[in-house]
Amino acid sequence: MTSRTQLPPDLRCAVTLGVDFDGPSHEVGRGIAPLGTHSWGRYSARCGIPRHIEMLNRQNVPCTFFVPGYDAQCHPDTVRAIDAAGFEVAAHGYLHEAWDLGAEEETKLLHKTDDILRQLIGKPVQGWRSPSGRKTANTMHVLKSMGYVYDSSDKDYDLPYRLRFGSGKDDCIVELPNNTYSLDDFPFFKFSYTPPSEVLAQWKSEFDAIYASDRFMVLTVHPRSGWGSGTPARTRIFEQAIAYMKEHSGVRFFSSAQFARWCLDNPRHLEEVSAS
Amino acid sequence: MNPFAWPAGIHCAVFVSVNFDAEVFDLKSTTEDRLYGRFSYGRYGVRAGLPRLLKLLERRGIAATAFVTASDAIRHPDAVRALRDAGHEIASRGSDLTPLPALGERERDALLHGRDALARITGEAPRGFRAAGGEFGPQSLRLLAELGFTYDSSFQDDDHPYLIAPTASTRLAELPTVQALDDSLPFSARHTHARVMKIWREEFDALYREGCLVPLTLHLRGDIGSTRAARIAALEGLLSHIADQPGVRFMTGAQIAAMTLASGMIAEGDPVAPHQATLSVTPYRGDLAVKPI
Repeated sequence: MTSRTQLPPDLRCAVTLGVDFDGPSHEVGRGIAPLGTHSWGRYSARCGIPRHIEMLNRQNVPCTFFVPGYDAQCHPDTVRAIDAAGFEVAAHGYLHEAWDLGAEEETKLLHKTDDILRQLIGKPVQGWRSPSGRKTANTMHVLKSMGYVYDSSDKDYDLPYRLRFGSGKDDCIVELPNNTYSLDDFPFFKFSYTPPSEVLAQWKSEFDAIYASDRFMVLTVHPRSGWGSGTPARTRIFEQAIAYMKEHSGVRFFSSAQFARWCLDNPRHLEEVSAS
Repeated sequence: MNPFAWPAGIHCAVFVSVNFDAEVFDLKSTTEDRLYGRFSYGRYGVRAGLPRLLKLLERRGIAATAFVTASDAIRHPDAVRALRDAGHEIASRGSDLTPLPALGERERDALLHGRDALARITGEAPRGFRAAGGEFGPQSLRLLAELGFTYDSSFQDDDHPYLIAPTASTRLAELPTVQALDDSLPFSARHTHARVMKIWREEFDALYREGCLVPLTLHLRGDIGSTRAARIAALEGLLSHIADQPGVRFMTGAQIAAMTLASGMIAEGDPVAPHQATLSVTPYRGDLAVKPI
């Protein structure tokens, strides 16, 4: 029986930022040509990612870019630029598969994206976030076999934990749960058409509550146009949210891989949860 | 990155466009003999909305671009001429609001009809195009270039205009729009005009700061459009704020397209070509992966 995850007192609050690339893969994977209104994903490489890199450099914080393999094939220079700027490149499906996959196809696609990203950045990929949050009992086995140290797809908790997916000694992976309902951009820009300043207020309020309790914040945006945050007004509130968090004492920003490594180095602080 | 730069003296161009979308929009849901009651919001746009919008644009000294279907233009030739006579650009929105990919072999004829119906009314062929629903088929850009259009304004993929080469010998300027600056979506979600103007002001201020193209997309309609008295008043407040910023220039689509075509920038290839192989083996899965309950 492991106790609940509790961050040590000297880690006042951990923040991980994620940018889910979501380029043309999002439309092409659904059988839609990236034309007209469906060209939002083209904005990621053209404008959104460069703007986010510039802003993150200005704020001097780490960030993880979750990249679908297909988008990496379409925009290899953009992926190299992310890596060259010192940010983490992690996996996010091949064609942003927001639908159920059989185990065989899923395994093939996880390896395919891993090969593409690893060859582009010249180093191992360390983590994965499911496109749309779908995953299966098979997924963690494959990630682990490829040497990944974390998954960031589950929605079932406010803190990181050690996810046990088998009975073997090493059948564990670090889970960094995320929240695509309120610590994400698309619900506000795709569904509720909320003014950017109100989204900022929402994220600040979420942070205030987290800072006072669990002390682990995972914020995700998308660099596309349309419902994403690549555009000037929305990149600006992303920046203001980061600046707000930085004003609080003891807040430490990690890339997802850095924080997963911290979890591996501090096992006694992590709850172990069995997947089945 | 897009190398487009505004000419000296312009920090940021504001492109006011009006999607006419009168009865043709209601006809997506009903038939010609039932354009009454709930299906008369389009007629409101022509009867009440257009005069009010024309007065606003005149007061503010703004030349706009109206995208009009052949269907609406034939029904309202005097309204189209009134827009033209007030100095606004008339551009095409196709034959009706049928999405281009649904037209199949009729696509070229429909685009031709959309172009020629406006030419007959105004005496001049339209240069600009905006697709119904922002939907394109794989041949649409090539057909537009072949039919003499010089620009499209349906994509949402850049902060500045750019050039597309649908074929080796044709060029189209693309004037990308911004979803957040389209009135129909938040009004369709029944947001108040104050809220919509709050969004627009925040979006404008950020686009202005970076010298981006600012494409405002208005609709004439009485439901999801901006021409009710209170909405026109709110819009005027925003336009006043925009006009107060140094270096802002209101321009029509044709003016921005001409500037882009003359810029010497390199045209990009057909945007579908790099994806054709994948699309040919990928089933259509619909465009919404996540829906509200």
